[in-house]
Amino acid sequence: MMVIGSKKITQMAQNMANYEQGKSHSLWVDARRRFFKNKAALISLIVLTLIVIFSFGAPYVTPWSNEEIDWSILGSINEKGMPSIASKHYFGTDDLGRDLFARVAQGTQISLMVGFVGAFIAVIVGTLYGAVAGYFGGRIDSVMMRIVDILMSIPYMFVLILLLVVFGRSIIMLFVGLGLISWLDMSRIVRGQTMVIKNKEFIEAAIAGGSNHLTIITRHIIPNLLGIVIVYASLLVPLMILTESFISFLGLGVQEPNTSWGALISDGAKTVLYERLWQLFIPLAFFVAGLFSFFFIGDGLRDALDPKDR
Amino acid sequence: MKSITKILTAVLIGSTFLVAPVLAAKVPAGTNLTADQTFTYRVGDEHSSVDPQIVEDVSGSELVRDLFEGLLNQDALGNLIPGVAESWEASNGNQTYTFKLRKDAKWSNGDAVTANDFVYAWQRLADPETASAYAWYMEIMSLENAKAIIAGEKEPSELGVSAPDDYTLVVNLTAPLPYFAAMTTHASTFPSPQKVIEEFGNEWTRPENIVSNGAYVLTEHVPNERSVRERNTMYWNDAETVINKVTALVINEESTALTRYLAGELDRTEIPAGEYPRLKKEYPDQAISFPRLCSYYYSFNVSDSGPEAFKDERVRQALSYALDRNVVTEQVLKGGQFPAFTFTPGTTANFDAPDVAFGQITQAERDAKAKELMVEAGYGADNPLKFELLYNTNEDHKKVATVAAQMWKQKLGIEATLVNQEWKVFLEVRGKQDFDLARGGWCGDYNEASTFLDLMTTPSGYNDGKYSNAELDKLMTDAKTADDPSANYTRVEEIMAEEMPIIPVYHYTGVYMMSEGIIGSWPVKNVEQNWYSRDLYKVE
Amino acid sequence: MHSAPGGPFTSERKLPEQVLANIEAKYGLDQPYYKQLTNYVVGIVTKGDFGPSFRYKDRSVNDVIAQGFPVTLKYGIWSFIVAVSVGVSLGIVAAINHNSVFDYLAVGFTIGAQVLPNFVMAPILVIIFTLWLGWLPGGGWNGGQWQYLIMPVIALSTSYMASIARIMRSSMLEVLNSNFIRTAKAKGLSNRQIIFKHALKPALLPVISYLGPTFVLMITGSVVIDIYFSTGGIGREFVNAALNRDYSVIMGITILMGILTITFNMVVDILYAWIDPKIRY
Repeated sequence: MMVIGSKKITQMAQNMANYEQGKSHSLWVDARRRFFKNKAALISLIVLTLIVIFSFGAPYVTPWSNEEIDWSILGSINEKGMPSIASKHYFGTDDLGRDLFARVAQGTQISLMVGFVGAFIAVIVGTLYGAVAGYFGGRIDSVMMRIVDILMSIPYMFVLILLLVVFGRSIIMLFVGLGLISWLDMSRIVRGQTMVIKNKEFIEAAIAGGSNHLTIITRHIIPNLLGIVIVYASLLVPLMILTESFISFLGLGVQEPNTSWGALISDGAKTVLYERLWQLFIPLAFFVAGLFSFFFIGDGLRDALDPKDR
Repeated sequence: MKSITKILTAVLIGSTFLVAPVLAAKVPAGTNLTADQTFTYRVGDEHSSVDPQIVEDVSGSELVRDLFEGLLNQDALGNLIPGVAESWEASNGNQTYTFKLRKDAKWSNGDAVTANDFVYAWQRLADPETASAYAWYMEIMSLENAKAIIAGEKEPSELGVSAPDDYTLVVNLTAPLPYFAAMTTHASTFPSPQKVIEEFGNEWTRPENIVSNGAYVLTEHVPNERSVRERNTMYWNDAETVINKVTALVINEESTALTRYLAGELDRTEIPAGEYPRLKKEYPDQAISFPRLCSYYYSFNVSDSGPEAFKDERVRQALSYALDRNVVTEQVLKGGQFPAFTFTPGTTANFDAPDVAFGQITQAERDAKAKELMVEAGYGADNPLKFELLYNTNEDHKKVATVAAQMWKQKLGIEATLVNQEWKVFLEVRGKQDFDLARGGWCGDYNEASTFLDLMTTPSGYNDGKYSNAELDKLMTDAKTADDPSANYTRVEEIMAEEMPIIPVYHYTGVYMMSEGIIGSWPVKNVEQNWYSRDLYKVE
Repeated sequence: MHSAPGGPFTSERKLPEQVLANIEAKYGLDQPYYKQLTNYVVGIVTKGDFGPSFRYKDRSVNDVIAQGFPVTLKYGIWSFIVAVSVGVSLGIVAAINHNSVFDYLAVGFTIGAQVLPNFVMAPILVIIFTLWLGWLPGGGWNGGQWQYLIMPVIALSTSYMASIARIMRSSMLEVLNSNFIRTAKAKGLSNRQIIFKHALKPALLPVISYLGPTFVLMITGSVVIDIYFSTGGIGREFVNAALNRDYSVIMGITILMGILTITFNMVVDILYAWIDPKIRY
């Protein structure tokens, strides 16, 4: 598993909170400028865009679908199943003579979806939870944060496995499982940030102006959390994809005929002995390129949105 | 339990009750044995137990057959040979069996193996206190009072088994069972050491406590990693045992096991689906494939909870016709499996496989016929048939299901969704008819067609699709008492080919990599694959 | 969990009802749920007894854990040691040689190692070290002899090692650029003195806060290791238990892991306080 540099994010949060309010317009403009100056992030963004274009464009390029079996190849994958322009299997085929080009494209869609949906759930739940705890403070805060502490002490990989075994494996259950565990860190960071923001003058002004708590949280606090939330979410996406790959390795992930990066890689890893290396290395290349991109983009966003050097 | 109660209707009739003493490992003269007589093999999962009365899985039974010895054993061909019992006879119209035990049989602690050890073990098996999952075995052996004891209505001591003296075991049955003797090769009926069990309780099977009477003793057991058995010097026929040490390694992944085999760490491992031809080419003396008495099939749910479409014979036929078995056996599994058009494997003893019509025509003709049938049944592009195909989670089942679904989709425009479930869930769901089309696999309990065909009878507990045909039921009932039931079996297969309650897909083979040293002594002809390490030997 | 379809005693041969009833009575499953629960909790609290395993007929949950946990712990601790020592050293060296070829190589390697799943690394390791080179056994545990330990440790530790190296590198860089180090440099202290006497301790702080959860993750994430190397650890036991509906083993292992998580988080807090004098509890 990977780690998100939580210390850096906390620091960034402090920097952002201290940044003078009212200049938020220029903050975003600045951030964009800085982001596009960051070469690694920019290249990653391009790579990621290409991957996305590939995943949606592939069906127009190949005559094969992700589940169609090429009967002329089935049974002699080692001899005929390798990547070839002539056979129109640009990435070769899997063990059942299904086109890897189409399967990688479809698997990419699923993996990206898992990453984004998982991160999205984390963002929504974590932000609301953290903002509420931080805003109200006191006893509500300590109860809410103790709950987070307790949940964090549960070995989440085990819980995820249990969920999928007990309630049956489905993509929905996978999202629920990923969502359940991913918001905890988010809520902690958001809470800390909220505690700082709520003491700002403009919040006090809003309270004095008679706004209710809900309005204050949604109108004033959450918008000011946006930077930190975006950065954290961008780093969560690859983590979700990695987790899904592990779950797929256990056979609990996406179900046939659909596939995902993790499922393709784990199938490929089982056949390394049989001289069909393209089955492992092609999906692995996409997986690695995709994750690299997410990390660099996340890093880039963090540097861009962190106002400390201004 | 129906299918098991009918074990061995015909096989044993005519076999003599007194058999000459047989040598254990029959090493042909002139064989050069290696100095290193060890056998290491892969098991996919940890065994449930080595307690004879508790064990309930295949890999556990393999261990128990080495560690303990029952009244009778099987030879390399599956024939009955004496074990602890030297001879046996039936009397009272096959309702009383008397076994004479050998006097030189010993436990690994030096105590003599007596008839009382069997009485104890059998009572223990039936005792509700033991809560054995195989308690029903006493019931289907028809032992007196077995049923009442399991239900807790009588004391275990009232079981119909007794020891008039130390070397005589008398068994009283409630029904005449001509094949009773053969049932004593089953691990559940092996003796267990009362003293040791009473001393150590549940922990008696640990290597430091266990006392056994087989050719081997358990010397090491690391759960989920390995179990080691070494020869038992107290065993009565130890002189003819060749293999000194047998190690079972738990290796979950087939591909990892194969790597380790190729690195020389194992003497036997399963070949993953599709890899046999390549390995056979590269290692002609080590890759092996031999017929097993097992069938792979898909069963239609024709009960009320099943889809309406499957109540139409034409739909069932079409699905069966369109499934190209040759692709499954020759292009997917590639392990020498046999395409199946009948449920019962053609290699089954006393079974004339009928030349069912749909097996005689070419696949192209079958496909054309399937298309016609679907149209007749009212399905087409505007009204496609949709159903779920259920299988238990497993790489090979997934492959077969994927290929089948694609064939149906491309040939008939059918949309079959694949659903896989964990073994235990799968069994429960299938047993409750909560499926459309489900995978099934059945291995014969004995070498006779009824072990398969009984599954199709109305009262069978394994008839998960709830198919019912009065003529078929009658044929199977008649077969129990018929002199030569093979005509009945042939007719039953013909009915099934017509009504197609199941889609037979293929007949299994055992597909292994075995080290050159051990491969010669492996009992490939024992279709039940009841093997004993004491019969094996390793050559140069 | 009881609501999941499939019971622990569902098997291929459907058991006659009476037999099933006897078995369930033995395991107390015939009693009402609340009673099962109280018995279970009472057993744990008063005797530390997690009950019998449903699948392994002659073993209790305590046996299963006592057997599998030491295995996991052994290769877990070794992986931890390797990950921390290699990761920290790599991070320091990369930071000292900031923007050198070595630094770039180190960064490239650590990112690569972080995203390479260990279920890809494990079979490749086996093929290289067992099949081609014939140096190491392809799996098994054998009481934890060193030959059997190497590949599991490599497969388990690499990605964590890479994470630690990255954290160490960036925090070291930050410390080296801070004012007090600049002062130390101005005073003319040697590089070695600066790094080991002044920079190391503060630079380690972020690494330490990462270690607690890492150790627990290593142990819970050991499923892949157990599957590929047949080590017989607790990870595989858990997955098996889940698939076999072995409720008591599932509970036992989950509770154990929960306790471990809490313990290690506490250990980290204490370590943190010890290293960073600003924090006092």
